[in-house]
Amino acid sequence: MSERIDPRLMAEGRRTRGALYFGIGLGVSAALLVILQAVLLAHLVRDVAFGHQNLAAVAPLLWGLAGLFGLRAALSYASEIVAFKASGKIKTYLRQTILNHVLKLGPVPAADEQSADLAGTMIEGIEALEPYFSRYVPQMALVVAVPLAILALVFPVDWISALILLGAGPLIPLFMVFVGYRAEAINQKQWQKLLLMSAHFLDVLQGLTTLKLFGRARDEIGIVARISDDYRKTTMAGLRVAFLTSAVLEFFASLAIALVAVVFGARLLHGNIDFYPAFLVLLLAPEYFVPLRGLSTHYHARMSAIAAARRMFDVLDIRVANTGTAPLPPLDAIDIVCEDLHFAYEAGAPVLDGLSCRFPAGQMTAIVGASGVGKTSLARLLLGFAKPEQGRIVINETLDLAELAPESWWQCLAWVPQNPRLFHGSIAANIRLGNPQADDEAVREAASKARALAFITAQPEGFETIIGDLGQGLSGGQIQRIALARAFLKNPQLLILDEATANLDLESEALVLEAIADLAVGRTVIVIAHRMAMAERADNVLVLEAGRVAAYGPPAQLRTADGAYARLLQAYEGDAEISNPGAELCV
Amino acid sequence: MRVILRLLALFGRDGGWMTGGIVLACLTILANFGLMTLSGWFLASAAIAGLAGVAAQNAFNFFSPAAGVRFFATIRVLSRYTERLVTHEATFRLLATLRVWFYTKLAPLAPAALQGYRAGDLLSRIVADIDTLNLFYLRVYVPFIAAAVAALAMVGFFGLFSLPAAVALAVGLGVTGLAVPMVTQWRGNAAGADITNLNAQMRVEMVDAIQGMGELLTYNAAPALQARVENLNKRLISRQAEMSAITGAGMAASGLFGNLTMLAVVIAAAVKVTAGQLGAADLPMLALGSMAAFEAVAPLPSALQYLGQIRAAASRIFELTDQQPAIRPIPGSAPQLSHFDLDLRGIKLRYEDNAAWALDGLDLHIPQGSHIGLQGSTGAGKSTLINLLLRFYEYQDGTASFGGVDLRAFSSEAIASYISVISQRTYLFHTTIRDNLLLAKGDASAADLWHALDVAQLADFVRAQPLGLDTIVGEAGVRLSGGQARRVAIARAVLKDTPWLILDEPTEGLDPVTERAFLRDLLAVMAGKTVLYITHRTAGLEMMDQVYALAAGKLRQPGNS
Repeated sequence: MSERIDPRLMAEGRRTRGALYFGIGLGVSAALLVILQAVLLAHLVRDVAFGHQNLAAVAPLLWGLAGLFGLRAALSYASEIVAFKASGKIKTYLRQTILNHVLKLGPVPAADEQSADLAGTMIEGIEALEPYFSRYVPQMALVVAVPLAILALVFPVDWISALILLGAGPLIPLFMVFVGYRAEAINQKQWQKLLLMSAHFLDVLQGLTTLKLFGRARDEIGIVARISDDYRKTTMAGLRVAFLTSAVLEFFASLAIALVAVVFGARLLHGNIDFYPAFLVLLLAPEYFVPLRGLSTHYHARMSAIAAARRMFDVLDIRVANTGTAPLPPLDAIDIVCEDLHFAYEAGAPVLDGLSCRFPAGQMTAIVGASGVGKTSLARLLLGFAKPEQGRIVINETLDLAELAPESWWQCLAWVPQNPRLFHGSIAANIRLGNPQADDEAVREAASKARALAFITAQPEGFETIIGDLGQGLSGGQIQRIALARAFLKNPQLLILDEATANLDLESEALVLEAIADLAVGRTVIVIAHRMAMAERADNVLVLEAGRVAAYGPPAQLRTADGAYARLLQAYEGDAEISNPGAELCV
Repeated sequence: MRVILRLLALFGRDGGWMTGGIVLACLTILANFGLMTLSGWFLASAAIAGLAGVAAQNAFNFFSPAAGVRFFATIRVLSRYTERLVTHEATFRLLATLRVWFYTKLAPLAPAALQGYRAGDLLSRIVADIDTLNLFYLRVYVPFIAAAVAALAMVGFFGLFSLPAAVALAVGLGVTGLAVPMVTQWRGNAAGADITNLNAQMRVEMVDAIQGMGELLTYNAAPALQARVENLNKRLISRQAEMSAITGAGMAASGLFGNLTMLAVVIAAAVKVTAGQLGAADLPMLALGSMAAFEAVAPLPSALQYLGQIRAAASRIFELTDQQPAIRPIPGSAPQLSHFDLDLRGIKLRYEDNAAWALDGLDLHIPQGSHIGLQGSTGAGKSTLINLLLRFYEYQDGTASFGGVDLRAFSSEAIASYISVISQRTYLFHTTIRDNLLLAKGDASAADLWHALDVAQLADFVRAQPLGLDTIVGEAGVRLSGGQARRVAIARAVLKDTPWLILDEPTEGLDPVTERAFLRDLLAVMAGKTVLYITHRTAGLEMMDQVYALAAGKLRQPGNS
């Protein structure tokens, strides 16, 4: 699996090929200078220790070394800057691409993804790619370049130690692959477990009040300790294998150095070889293993980049449905006809199954039915968030919704969902979403029509009060009314709303219903009704059963007929009276 | 620093493993140092002997240094492997210690101390904080102590040969291990804070984009959001570039100072060698030694970064655990009750000094066996009344008695054995349905559990699951609907079988049809119990003997429903 992600990631990297390769080149040059440094140092030590030269005599070597150190530092700094430039471009590109893609996909597929998870992918996930491009990929180049260069230098100097290094070199990746694969599998299992354990601890903390209510808080201490302990035991069993990776590396590195020293020692003692090559090889031997060691430290960068990339590609691989392009001509009123709509989220489980209906212009139509009957799906199709698999939606008898550009369709409608979203910013900014050009007076008027003026002006900063992303500090009814103010300000020909009175307290419910009634005047209104009170106020009621229309007509007419609507009223058992706001207000 | 000392005090218990890890970490560094210095000395000495003729060759002790080289190589391999095992073992033991400590501290404080942490992500931040604290030993403590000990030993070793070389090494280690990382961190502070901040802002936009997409699209607000994200990203990348330049400079400086140290050591040793005060073989030995020595300080830059994170996490955790419990029950054995009347007179409760009274002189008498409804809108004091009855918060004024005993005598555990709560906030643990039910009665038989599920009208659903009672609830298993989750609460209440039952907005968020069915099934559980039904709406109140209205922390007017 991970094998297929690497090439795709690298394909992304190709967008900044120039900077990426330049950065790698700088890093490799800095690393290769270490060989030159070793040569100078070996000369210096030989000249002083064996040539009996004083400092003045070796001054050029000293200056050469100092210059080399400066050059290495400069190169390593430059490679860092260039590598970041490359990965910064990749991050920017991916972030824009994914956000565009998610917005193109629309709310329906996005709802399937856990929103926190998706946001995490677009922020931390993309950040996780940086070490991959700025550390892991350059390190791969070093792993190839540095040992080869050292071997090329050592071979002519002393072929025996070159053979020792050559022998130890390729063996390491071999062993690391052998141990590494097992370790990787174990790691992933451990990772799951670690997540589970963190999740359990979080679970316990979240349920602490419940535990106390059942007098179980103390028992859980033992369980927390036991789970942590179990985890320690199994993890350590895995780590014993995983740490072999570094042990193997350490083993060969130390063995090679010891072997070089001992073998050279014997030959030096017998005068078979000079000190210089022996010391040069000893200086280079540790450097031979440095890139490999670096690779194993940056390996987890690759792991997390691949995990992040997989989630990214999963999102990017969701296909965007074709949308229409025709602009919507200016309309005074909107009349909608649905013809034989079929729709399903999963094959074989139709949600809408041949639904045909009409939403007459200027009237309020309430969609009712038990939950899961297709009310929300019908709204999604009408909003253009999803496409019917079969059938079509016709606007004003001539325009097929599928052929219209979604943006121009959205321009003439307002949508108020069950839990409206308030965005981070001021209350005024949230209302102004309905019409960014609106002046303060218009915003105020919209708020007033939405029965929201009183509570907004009671806020510490009035319209300029900043609200959190979930409308923190506001009640459900207040959020509803801000959303309605938005719709008032937009002044659309079509209003689609998902009634949310179920969770409002009685006072809010009354105000929301009043505001909706005002907003409905002179527009085509489609409301998904969850309470019969709402349905009873509509001009027409559309009763859905199993993805089809079970009944349609004015509520007064349907009530008396012995059909689906009457059955529904029965099930709600006089719910209409209970949620009648007047009852509470006059207590 | 005080925070770090407190943290260290917590770690006392696993001292053996912790010390072992440090000893092995020192050994690993010193073995490498030994390997390199000895190899350098050995090669040069062998070369000198080789040049000096046959007699010197024969006199040269070849085997001891050769054996020493092999010895250090072996020690290095073994100690590196065992060091990692031991330090990780210690880390996991510390994690268990920390979690148990934190839980033990937190349990008496809940739920009052966690009030501000209701949202899931804040709690996950606490869990992440604990995980961060846990890294203190592995990422900060071990590297610093091992670096200090090993550096002392290596500098001391250099001192045996040349004082200037020893000084050069000490300075070099200090500069690369402490000074450069500290300067780097200090220079990166502003950019780092900006990056965190920009990331947070970007997260807000992204979450808005995903959760509010329908509205963004229909109000044509997506382009504006995309422009904002683009702008944030631009600022983020430029700050990150700054940061990477700072770290890049730090890394380059570390390398440079390490190399210059080696050069200084070589010069200091060369002077002595030329003067005949030091053997020729000591020069390559010290040169290689100074290269190997820097391994000791290599982990310090990241250790310093961790130290900052850990200090912040520790402050947050201690701030939480340092809170005082909201109630202090009168010590003594749990009260023995003969009846279960509740009597509240003039109760005043507020959450903070100077805050408005959440209960403002509440009088309420609930005789055993009655079914009382309490209706009030948001902010009327409904949740506060529950907090009072369950002993989550202390009341400041008035008298309260339960079963004739002063309410102050009860701990929340003690009162919980008389009261079951069914609420919209019923917490389901991410475990099996069985475990979620056993919570209410640890020794319940399978028959008891099925009976409870029957009463709660959940038995058919559970029977339909392939794993039955062992079905996991939550993300890893089957998701329960809002109505089903509340039915689990009913089943728990059946199992617990307490004389009192509090229904806290039990139908909140249910659609009317489900609500009705749910209320109908509740009747079965209410029989023979004292029931307090709290709601902001009217549904279900007709099932009560008497209904009171709660407003502004006191009863408004009694009335029969």
